[in-house]
Amino acid sequence: MTSSLHATPSASSTLAVEARHLVKRYGDLEVLRDVSLEVPEGSVTSIIGASGSGKSTLLRCLNLLERPNLGELAIADEAIRFDRNPQGDVVGLDRRQLQRLRAKVSMVFQQFNLWPHFTVLGNVTEAPMRVKGLSRRRANALAEHYLERVGMADKRDSYPAYLSGGQQQRVAIARALAMEPRLLLFDEPTSALDPERVSEVLSVIRGLADEGRTMVLVTHEMAFARDVSDQVVFLDRGVVGVAGTPQDVFEDSEHERCRHFVAPAVC
Amino acid sequence: MNTVSQEGLLDWAGPILQGALTTLEIAVLAYAIGLVLGLIGASARLSPWAPLRGLATAYSTAVRAVPELLLIILLYYAGSQALTALIHAMGLPGQVAINGFVTAVGVLAFVQGAYMTEVLRGAILAIPKGQLEAADAFGFSTWARFHRIVIPAMLPNALPGMSNLWLILIKDTALISVIGFSELFFTIQQAAASTRAHFLFYAAAGAIYLLMTLTSTALFARLERYVRRGQPAQEEA
Ligand SMILES: Nc1ncnc2c1ncn2[C@@H]1O[C@H](COP(=O)(O)OP(=O)(O)OP(=O)(O)O)[C@@H](O)[C@H]1O
Ligand SMILES: [Mg+2]
Repeated sequence: MTSSLHATPSASSTLAVEARHLVKRYGDLEVLRDVSLEVPEGSVTSIIGASGSGKSTLLRCLNLLERPNLGELAIADEAIRFDRNPQGDVVGLDRRQLQRLRAKVSMVFQQFNLWPHFTVLGNVTEAPMRVKGLSRRRANALAEHYLERVGMADKRDSYPAYLSGGQQQRVAIARALAMEPRLLLFDEPTSALDPERVSEVLSVIRGLADEGRTMVLVTHEMAFARDVSDQVVFLDRGVVGVAGTPQDVFEDSEHERCRHFVAPAVC
Repeated sequence: MNTVSQEGLLDWAGPILQGALTTLEIAVLAYAIGLVLGLIGASARLSPWAPLRGLATAYSTAVRAVPELLLIILLYYAGSQALTALIHAMGLPGQVAINGFVTAVGVLAFVQGAYMTEVLRGAILAIPKGQLEAADAFGFSTWARFHRIVIPAMLPNALPGMSNLWLILIKDTALISVIGFSELFFTIQQAAASTRAHFLFYAAAGAIYLLMTLTSTALFARLERYVRRGQPAQEEA
């Protein structure tokens, strides 16, 4: 796979994510209203937008932490159609498929969500061993490799509570990478960090982008999104306001609220 | 009957130690089974399936509402009657007296399970949601999530309550003496009655119970340090 940095996703490239007409409601609140999204393999997509616009919800629909009420999803060769049966229940997913999908899509959370009872190494080996059935030896080798990659190899025997936020987030990234996923999801990976810790995490993510990994990230780091993304999606009250290259969204957009939202980053 | 009055602590040391050992056996077994019942009960209490929730709630509420002494007597007689009926139904003659050890373990485990259900339920609810969400996001099976994440994550919250239940259980084994099973307390009663050295034997019993609880408190403290190994010590200040 060639990494096509900053290239416009071409129609011929295969898609890692194809979401069509997703609708997600919480009771009466329609958080996603007909959202469609395409993420080509090997590309980086950033989702930006105001607080409450549905960014996290959209991201969490991509690994089914939230289950859409309507729409279609094709992710990493798993195709799912959400619908209602005559009783009105949401249908369109079985447990097996759910676990298969989640084994191919890794997520990095805003609050890291490391498991405090495992060491750094244990956190990284756990999912490969339990979910993919790797031997401890192979899982350890993978973990060492990715911990090295994020610069946390020397902390392998520490417990998460003894690490700084930036270090915990880097371990969380290694944990996600050790699943060798087809798709990486980041939900505001730097929002919970002290300002001086932000860059160490962003530089790891930038390195992953440069490797041509397929990633979708929700972020408030506008300069970073602009710099690292192949595609930027401005989400506005549950619909895609603008989607396109960073240039399209940050400079050429006619969308009033989008211009307003990105203005501080542009000037 | 002159020899009786010359009996002393030493003559009874053997039976008393035997009784103490039996008490420990009953307590350990009842605790282990109670723990399993508690895990099942807590999972059922937290299940999305309403009938299961209802059943578990009924169990923990009813058992905790009735005095244990009464439960022991009830279950003992109900149990032997049920078994006798069963054996008659199979066409065999005879009466069944349930083995005292089995009754003791069964009844205490049943009661423990109810209290344990509540302790574990609270501890599971106290797990930060993000840790479980991470397990879900990585595609853990229900079982892997339960034994690799839920159990170790809830243990630090659960252990103080679990340790408390263990202490209560050790003391509750004395209730088993009402069905005439010779655990520690029953043996002590016999010794006291036979020698008339009431204070001596009851004081000895107290000392033995104290020894058991102190030892186990120390063990629980070590266990708690272990399950909190990932958490920085909070005793600065
Ligand atoms: N589990 C839930 N139940 C009810 N409402 C929810 C739930 N999760 C999110 N919402 C609502 O959905 C809307 C979108 O939430 P979401 O978390 O996706 O926003 P966001 O764009 O990620 O915002 P932020 O930048 O603050 O993280 C918000 O109004 C939120 O209150
Ligand atoms: Mg969010």
